[in-house]
Amino acid sequence: MPDDDVFKQFKEHSIAEFFKKNRQMLGFTGKVRSMTIIVHEIVTNSLDACEEAGVLPDIFVQVDELDKEKEHYRLTIKDNGPGIPRSHLGKALGQMLAGTKFHRYLQQRGQQGIGAAACTMFSYLTTGQPTKAVSVYKGKKLTASIGIDFKQNKPVVEVIEEVDASEGESGLTFISEFKDVRYERSNYGVYEYLRRTALANPHCAITLIEPEGRSTAFPRSVIVNPSKPTEIKPHPLGIGTHDLLEFARQNREKRRLSSFLQETFSRVSAGKIDELRALLPNVDLNKNPQDLSWEEAEALVKAFSQVKWIAPATDSLVPIGKDQVEVSFRNIFNPEVLVVTERSPKVYRGGIPFMVEVGIAYGGGVAEAGKKGEVMRFANRVPLLFDSGGCAITETIKTMDWKRYDVKDFEEEPIAVLVNLISVHVPYTSAGKQAVSPEEDVMDEIKFAIMEASRGVQKYLSGKRKAHEIATKKKVVSRYIQQLSGDLSSLTGEKKADIEKALTKIVEEKYAREDMEVEETAETGPETGNGKPDADNEGEE
Amino acid sequence: MSDAANTKLQALGTQMVKEVQKGEGPTFETVLRTKSNTIFDEGMGCLRTGEKKEVRKFLSVAQARTFMQTVAIAAKSRQFLKENLHTSIRGLFYQLKFTLGEDIDEDLFTEQSESNALIEDLEVALKIKREDLNLTTDRKGFVAGPMTILDKFGGEDTLIDLSKQGRSGWSIPSDVDNGMEIKQLDADYVLVVEKDALWQRLNEDKFWKKENCLLVTPKGQSTRGTRRLLRKLADRKLPIYCLMDCDAWGWYIYWTIKTGSMNLAYLGKDFAVPESKFLGVTMSDIKEFEFLDKLTIKAKDVDVKRAEEMLGYPWINRYPDWVRELKMVLKTKKKIEQDALQGQRLTFVGEYINKKINNKEWLS
Repeated sequence: MPDDDVFKQFKEHSIAEFFKKNRQMLGFTGKVRSMTIIVHEIVTNSLDACEEAGVLPDIFVQVDELDKEKEHYRLTIKDNGPGIPRSHLGKALGQMLAGTKFHRYLQQRGQQGIGAAACTMFSYLTTGQPTKAVSVYKGKKLTASIGIDFKQNKPVVEVIEEVDASEGESGLTFISEFKDVRYERSNYGVYEYLRRTALANPHCAITLIEPEGRSTAFPRSVIVNPSKPTEIKPHPLGIGTHDLLEFARQNREKRRLSSFLQETFSRVSAGKIDELRALLPNVDLNKNPQDLSWEEAEALVKAFSQVKWIAPATDSLVPIGKDQVEVSFRNIFNPEVLVVTERSPKVYRGGIPFMVEVGIAYGGGVAEAGKKGEVMRFANRVPLLFDSGGCAITETIKTMDWKRYDVKDFEEEPIAVLVNLISVHVPYTSAGKQAVSPEEDVMDEIKFAIMEASRGVQKYLSGKRKAHEIATKKKVVSRYIQQLSGDLSSLTGEKKADIEKALTKIVEEKYAREDMEVEETAETGPETGNGKPDADNEGEE
Repeated sequence: MSDAANTKLQALGTQMVKEVQKGEGPTFETVLRTKSNTIFDEGMGCLRTGEKKEVRKFLSVAQARTFMQTVAIAAKSRQFLKENLHTSIRGLFYQLKFTLGEDIDEDLFTEQSESNALIEDLEVALKIKREDLNLTTDRKGFVAGPMTILDKFGGEDTLIDLSKQGRSGWSIPSDVDNGMEIKQLDADYVLVVEKDALWQRLNEDKFWKKENCLLVTPKGQSTRGTRRLLRKLADRKLPIYCLMDCDAWGWYIYWTIKTGSMNLAYLGKDFAVPESKFLGVTMSDIKEFEFLDKLTIKAKDVDVKRAEEMLGYPWINRYPDWVRELKMVLKTKKKIEQDALQGQRLTFVGEYINKKINNKEWLS
């Protein structure tokens, strides 16, 4: 070991410096974006906490502007979750990489566990003030301030007050001040973030109070929490060298590499171990996993790709659900047309299960809200507001031939597209977690899902257009009946009224027939999207 | 009043009403008046429409309006016939320019071009002339010479001596068939000059008196009345000689008299005068009469374009003389007006015409 003092000195700088220099990696770039990211981190934690505790989330967000010139804000975020016990409060809000989510292989909102502590640190670095937390946990109401000891990367918790909570009260309130951020009601702001969060999480109720005092409530549309995703073992094909080493080091139970592999990963049978053994004559599969070297891990990962595996189980994924998306969309947009897909899970890179949900809303409330060509991206129900340029979802929507679906100009029509990508491991382009990388399997599935929903919209639009055309046709022809009848009467001496009556009947009958034809085709219209696993016959582009 | 026209109009209405009574949408059958359905009839020596038919349907959205308009014209024309009153196609347009109803923000007709085309459709479909529908066209042509006409008009019979029309001549009416009779005709031939200016020049010279001919000017493109009159005169075996500008337009005016125009091809032989001869002015004249060479002017783009078109018409390019003339226009890009014939002496024109007729120096 090198000199301890030197090492400590080095470490003290590294945490603060690392954060300052690399905060863009955590998403803290730009003032508006930083504000949204903070709200995102805290709200995400709240939602997860509520769901884990089986409570329907009630989230309250208030943004106060303390000093306009200095761009100094106070953020208050309150939930009705179980709260955090005194012993964990500091770790949860003040220690980087200390969350409960790291190395859990299941579908979840956050993945790195960097969230809340990063916000606390960001607050401390820009204002010098500790963050205040009010945690109501098991009948105790604890008010504390949480600072960070950079020297030891440790939270400094000072309890301000601890009292008995009132009956039925629970939850966590996060109160923190920030500079170097800005509140803005734009497509990248807190308002839009919460609106979309509400859309993708119909089981939660969100209230937002903006700096100027305007209060907006996004109400709850369904009264059941989504079912909890089950934790699954990772599939060998979804694993990188670094992941494998991490799993091996954390392993405490198995002494042999072969049994560790069988225990830790799915679809690894004794037979597959034999296959691996044959592929890797130079790797001792009987050695202790703790002693696994980088080179050996690399060779193993390579060998994984040469073995034919059974695909991973996909039943661990929990979508928002067709019905929920519909209810939610109607609540927030009340569109004229709404098509939501319900598709079966797929696998990318051969080993990582994922699922795509698409909802397309057209006209009605979308038009009234002045929304045009709106793309709403989500990953595991979390809205992705930034970095849309490099995102596989945006890319797919942009390159769609919308005219084929009777959407003449996507950017100019009252259309809103929701895409939710669900996976135990969402392939983000960077640690900022705002864009989906263009994995081929993922992109294909996104495309097929959007195409499926688009067909539903198209059927409606073309049916509507046809009905409109028929009505217009009938109107065009009908308006000439009077004049024509009069002239025919004048030419022949027949009674005008008789001719008019007969002509009207002829026109009515003709267009009534055409009308019926339209209704028949329209009936199968917006009701599509009953998600058959038929990706095979969808390769039509 | 034309009884035939009245009967045909009534029959058209009856056919439509029968369709309606059978529960069908009314239809209107007419002959297609497109270039592809225009053919040159060698036997008759004129253009006529082919056999291609077109059925218009009231129930078709694209045709409903024109269908109603066509019937409106038919009904209105029948009313004119009944009342024995005439009007121009513009007058008819105004008679039919009214709103379709208080709750309909649309006029029966908005542009005269709409009604004009439909009048032609009715003429073709019913095989009648618009003159038979008591519709007049603007007059433009004039005539003077040894001919007497009986004009039954406004309840009076008037005898008109075309040799006693002074400096202005007799204005050719739009309809020379109904209520119009040639009583006396002593002329040896008919001379048609394109321009009124030349007509006045020759009238002052008493050219028609000296030569015992009928002197006609269509004043540019011939009206239906003028062409119909020329046809009737040709029927009386009078030779028809034409003197036009030496340019594509002048020649085209001649060809319209001779074979009819594509636009009015459906009128066919009743309006065409295949017997007519073209005296000049020709490009060859420029070589023959030295002074003309100095009086040429530059051909315009429209002249060149028209010459190119005419070279493409089978009824023109079958004559080698005409092909030669047209090609010369394209080559020299020159033209010469008939007025240039007065350039040397005012009275030269008469000598020129006589020389051409006596030596049979004409183009077909």
